Amino acid sequence: MTAGLVGLLVASLLLFASILAGLLSARLGAPLLLTFLGLGMLAGEDGPGGIAYDNLDLSFLIGNCALAIILFDGGLRTPLATLQAAWAPALSLATLGVLITAGVTAAGAHWLFHLDPLHAFLMGAIVAATDAPAVFMALGHTGVTLRDRLRATLEVESGSNDPMGIFLTMACVALIQASGQAVGWGVAADFVRQMGLGLLLGWFGGMGLAWLTNRLELAAGLYPILTLAVCLLTFSGTALLGGSGYLAMYVAGIVYGSRRVRAKTMTCRFFDGLMWLSQITMFLLLGLLVSPHQLAGQAFLALGIAVILIFVARPVAVALALAPFGFSMPEQLFAAWVGLRGAVPIFLALLPAMAGIDESRTYFNVAFVVVLVSLVLQGWTAAWVARRLGVALAPNPEAADKLEFDMLHQIDRDLVAYTVKPHSRATDFAFAELAVPDRVRVVTVIRDGAVLSSPEIDRLRADDVVLVLTPPALSLVVDRFFSRRFKSTAAHLRREHGDFFVDGASSVESLVRAYDLPLEGAASGLTVNGLLKGRIGSTVGRGDRLRVGPVELIVIDMIGRDIKEVGVRLCFEDDQPTDWRRRLRSFLAHGPLGPFVGRLLDRGR
Amino acid sequence: MIELITPASIIANLRASNKKQALQELARKASELTGQHERMIFDVLLERERLGTTGVGQGIAIPHGKLANLDRVYGLFARLERPIDFDAIDEQPVDLMFLLLAPEQAGADHLKALARVSRLLRDHAVCEKLRGSTSADALYALLTQTEASHAA
Repeated sequence: MTAGLVGLLVASLLLFASILAGLLSARLGAPLLLTFLGLGMLAGEDGPGGIAYDNLDLSFLIGNCALAIILFDGGLRTPLATLQAAWAPALSLATLGVLITAGVTAAGAHWLFHLDPLHAFLMGAIVAATDAPAVFMALGHTGVTLRDRLRATLEVESGSNDPMGIFLTMACVALIQASGQAVGWGVAADFVRQMGLGLLLGWFGGMGLAWLTNRLELAAGLYPILTLAVCLLTFSGTALLGGSGYLAMYVAGIVYGSRRVRAKTMTCRFFDGLMWLSQITMFLLLGLLVSPHQLAGQAFLALGIAVILIFVARPVAVALALAPFGFSMPEQLFAAWVGLRGAVPIFLALLPAMAGIDESRTYFNVAFVVVLVSLVLQGWTAAWVARRLGVALAPNPEAADKLEFDMLHQIDRDLVAYTVKPHSRATDFAFAELAVPDRVRVVTVIRDGAVLSSPEIDRLRADDVVLVLTPPALSLVVDRFFSRRFKSTAAHLRREHGDFFVDGASSVESLVRAYDLPLEGAASGLTVNGLLKGRIGSTVGRGDRLRVGPVELIVIDMIGRDIKEVGVRLCFEDDQPTDWRRRLRSFLAHGPLGPFVGRLLDRGR
Repeated sequence: MIELITPASIIANLRASNKKQALQELARKASELTGQHERMIFDVLLERERLGTTGVGQGIAIPHGKLANLDRVYGLFARLERPIDFDAIDEQPVDLMFLLLAPEQAGADHLKALARVSRLLRDHAVCEKLRGSTSADALYALLTQTEASHAA
């Protein structure tokens, strides 16, 4: 009894310390996940904590639950629009990309460290999948804005490639256990069954969950719990039927997330919390499980694998998997760089040990070092690299400060409370001139704690709270009335975003006349917005480019699905090809090696 | 740049209190340089502004347009005495303006000239120097020399 309580005390202390440490690391700008890992190590056998934790079965069970939740949450956060814009390149990265990453890493491990091919491939498979939360955090917290399509691709990839990495690892473990008997087609058939069942049961799980949620009259607090129960049911059921429970979770998350269900806001927040708990637990566990004193002997191998993975395997995989999709070279380089590793390799590294494969400790140690190097090297530099490669756009107008309320799900309206930001449309125009869309209703305004009625308001002020009833389809448009206006962030625009700017609503004809574009007749009567949507497709997003004769049109700002601001970049031979050279030169001169390179150049003179 | 501007096409201390007045002043000066109607130039500039502001940010504006009877591409630089609201993309007041006028059939020459002006004025160091100079000669020297050194 007392032992159990002590265990609980230690676990809760660790959790508490993680949260505080997380707060600290945010101030220092250190990758959050790294902090949890470090804390686990401090508590572990070689740290001051001295906890000798070695329970693989328990770790595997916890890991499974945590991954299921992380994947469901990942799906839940993926809006359909993101999926529509990026499913093809993301799928290519998540299947072909993972296979190539694992293959190239394995080849490196085989040639450089003389691992036998199957063990080398197991090593590659363990570290092949990128980690959704790590990528989300690297992209989200750094304030870097990427082209919409690139961001969507990276996000969907990181959520959907885990099932592939897990499948490959499990298949390898099975092959090694069967001591390499020829089972070639068996693996392929197994792949089809796992992914097929995962997809199907995940879809059913998500639909069933949405249906149940809207059907059952429960105490409000029970809806998130219902979701959790159905989630884990789908996960374990799919896995027991021979499907990929991980894929089922991601699919179920997407399906459920796209439905209009009651208590959704509450459920999303609940899963946000669970996702954090899962992350913290996974990284604490890894820190506890690893024995730094054993690492010394294998540091060379592990670092070697990390370097091969980061600098060879991932870039090759990205280049091949993204080849048909028209991403620019800097974008591909950036995609290669943000292939962050996180919880999945750690979890997968447990499998060889559980299957009783020889030297299973090695896999664990390598996975540990790979994740560590990836988080430090890539996680810390993602924003810097984005700016250097020129893939960073001007920052998004800061997100609206809003609170959503769960309405009856039969009503097709969202109730949202906005806190008005300074420099927003709401503060810059008189209340009567705001021209909110027809179907949007301002319910009430609260200023300094007092409720105002509409006639009393001449102009909204920063920090007013505005209660708005809006159709869900218009919520993005409404956001823009209360968040900072685009123009207040436009100072960050650089020449790569356009020499000049035109309004999305202006006519193509006047644009053609001003810049001699070869578009006669083809585009008469169109607006610039209509032209770009027609040429790029309905999934057009910020940062997309269209070359028209001597100029490039760049989507700079969008409101909802409409293009608001367009950059006009003048392209000429004398600046285009030297662009990367200039960038390389400025990188050498102003990068971390700057002073050193400068001295070298001076000496050369 | 030397083909675009002469010392005569520099205004070292333009006085204007708003966007319209500044464009009118530039149109007047450009009409002296090119022999075209002031009103026509002003209308062409306004038409371009309707498409979207040419205040490209950081206090810079590059109004431009095309005229039927021009013999070549003309440039005109103005340093404003006091910064004015130009409805710029970043909402910052504008104090450096470069006007560019091109013949109707200029095609690539027009865009190349625009690209050069745009590149030159995105250079912070150049803009700071331009802001610090008060004589037309110094401004002319800055504009022409800096580009020469850029090209090298």
